Amino acid sequence: MLEITNLTVCYGKAMIINDISLHVDEGELVSLVGPNGAGKSTTLRAATGLVAWEKSIHRGGDGDITLQGTVEFMGKRIEKTPAHEIAKMGLIHCPERRRPFKEMSVLENLKAGAYLLTEKNEIDENLRQVYQLFPRLKERSHQISGTLSGGEQQMLAVGRAMMSSPKLLCIDEPSTGLAPIMRTEVFRKIQEIRELGITVLLVEQEVSTVFTMADRNYVLSSGKIIAEGKGEELLKDEVLRKTYLGM
Amino acid sequence: MLIDILITSLINGSTYALLAIGFSLIFGVARIVNIAHTAFYMVAAYCIYFTTYRLGFNPLSAMITGIVFVSILGLIVYKIFIAPIREHEQAVLIGTIALAIALQEIMMLIFTGDYLSVPALIKGYATILGVKVFYQQLITFASVLVVLGLMRLFLMHTKLGLAIRATAQDREVANLMGMNESRVAMMAVVISVGLAGATGAIIVPLTTVEPFMWSHPLIMMMAVVVLGGMGSIKGSFYAAFILGFAEAMVVFLIPSGAFLKGAVALSIMILVLVVRPTGLFGVQFEEEG
Ligand SMILES: Nc1ncnc2c1ncn2[C@@H]1O[C@H](COP(=O)(O)OP(=O)(O)OP(=O)(O)O)[C@@H](O)[C@H]1O
Ligand SMILES: [Mg+2]
Repeated sequence: MLEITNLTVCYGKAMIINDISLHVDEGELVSLVGPNGAGKSTTLRAATGLVAWEKSIHRGGDGDITLQGTVEFMGKRIEKTPAHEIAKMGLIHCPERRRPFKEMSVLENLKAGAYLLTEKNEIDENLRQVYQLFPRLKERSHQISGTLSGGEQQMLAVGRAMMSSPKLLCIDEPSTGLAPIMRTEVFRKIQEIRELGITVLLVEQEVSTVFTMADRNYVLSSGKIIAEGKGEELLKDEVLRKTYLGM
Repeated sequence: MLIDILITSLINGSTYALLAIGFSLIFGVARIVNIAHTAFYMVAAYCIYFTTYRLGFNPLSAMITGIVFVSILGLIVYKIFIAPIREHEQAVLIGTIALAIALQEIMMLIFTGDYLSVPALIKGYATILGVKVFYQQLITFASVLVVLGLMRLFLMHTKLGLAIRATAQDREVANLMGMNESRVAMMAVVISVGLAGATGAIIVPLTTVEPFMWSHPLIMMMAVVVLGGMGSIKGSFYAAFILGFAEAMVVFLIPSGAFLKGAVALSIMILVLVVRPTGLFGVQFEEEG
């Protein structure tokens, strides 16, 4: 479904992603883990058009942004496709740090998530589904989202992404900064989303939980994929576990 | 006297509100500090003068022509002049200053520096509490309220309005939601400049048309934006009336104080920047009541 091949991303002289290849097949839950600064977010941003967008507005800070390699989604090359068109294809990116539209209400955020949909029925159906998944959002639907708790904001971010009827949902660090109970809750919701038949690419640092959930995992370190496989197999590797996963 | 002050401040305040909201819109969505905003307002006024006297349009079609002309002009100027440098804030700032002066000089060349005027939509006046209120003043005030109401409906209840607010708050995430960020920015520019044109059209029967007519409203508009909080539409609304009132007080209460009216705005602006740099309503772009 998603096929990243020999992707390299440089911000100026710094090579952030160094020739990585990964793929996500339909129906899978795949995780991408690794330490801070490994390049996980950048990988997602490259796949969903944000790196190309940054490049187009020269926001790279010092030096130019270069993006090499190919990204394919449902058989189409998308490495040069604008972000909003990638979203239209069903590849949806739920960004790091939640980033709700802070001055809008919960409901307006969800409507913004359904921006690409034109059928009112589909929007209503998605809203019903999101509210079922996150009853909390329904209770809070008229609250200004900037005043939600961190956990609620995370639910909103995922709910907003779900509003667009994603085919592949990329979620960037949903558990970071949440209390343990909330983390468990968020992971349970991701499991539920997956059971709805949505393919998920999950970026996380909470390795122990993710490895039990995901079908396959990629471990990224300093811009390179250093291991891939099922959770239990990866955990057998002592060096990997100690050095890169901190377990 | 009090009624005079009230009427003047309501009318001036409401035009400052319209100007400031247009200015905030373009700043919020496209991060463009458009110094030429009130220059478009001036162009609309000239356009109405021209179509009324040289082409013989009736007042209403002259107004509509003015608004449409200015919106299209804004779009063209944005496309060829501002869009390519949009990510360089300083360049945009200098560019819009240059644009304002260029528009001023062009009007000067075409129409000379003469003071021109445009007839009222409805002549005559009513007497309210013993004070003469021209019908045109009432029309102007009512029109501003209608336009403000329509803007609110547009921003809160249409899909493009939603995209505009989303882009203003986080354009990267808006992009991820499938909103075409550069197209939304372009639409915001057209609406903003159209709003400047509409302000010009609404106010023109009450003011003199001349090539420097953009400078005083520019100062007032900036003061409104600073007082209300950059990017806050609600803030702009309240601040506009506060400043309109302060200005009217000075003009009416201080003998021959009219020359001080710019100073009032500037003093308030400086005071706000020193005491509370985020303005009355912080930096939020728009919020549910
Ligand atoms: N716009 C940018 N300009 C320059 N360097 C950048 C930019 N974005 C990211 N980087 C650098 O790229 C590296 C990888 O960042 P990235 O955000 O992808 O890491 P991450 O794996 O998501 O980390 P975390 O777990 O902390 O979110 C970091 O060293 C970061 O400083
Ligand atoms: Mg990250």
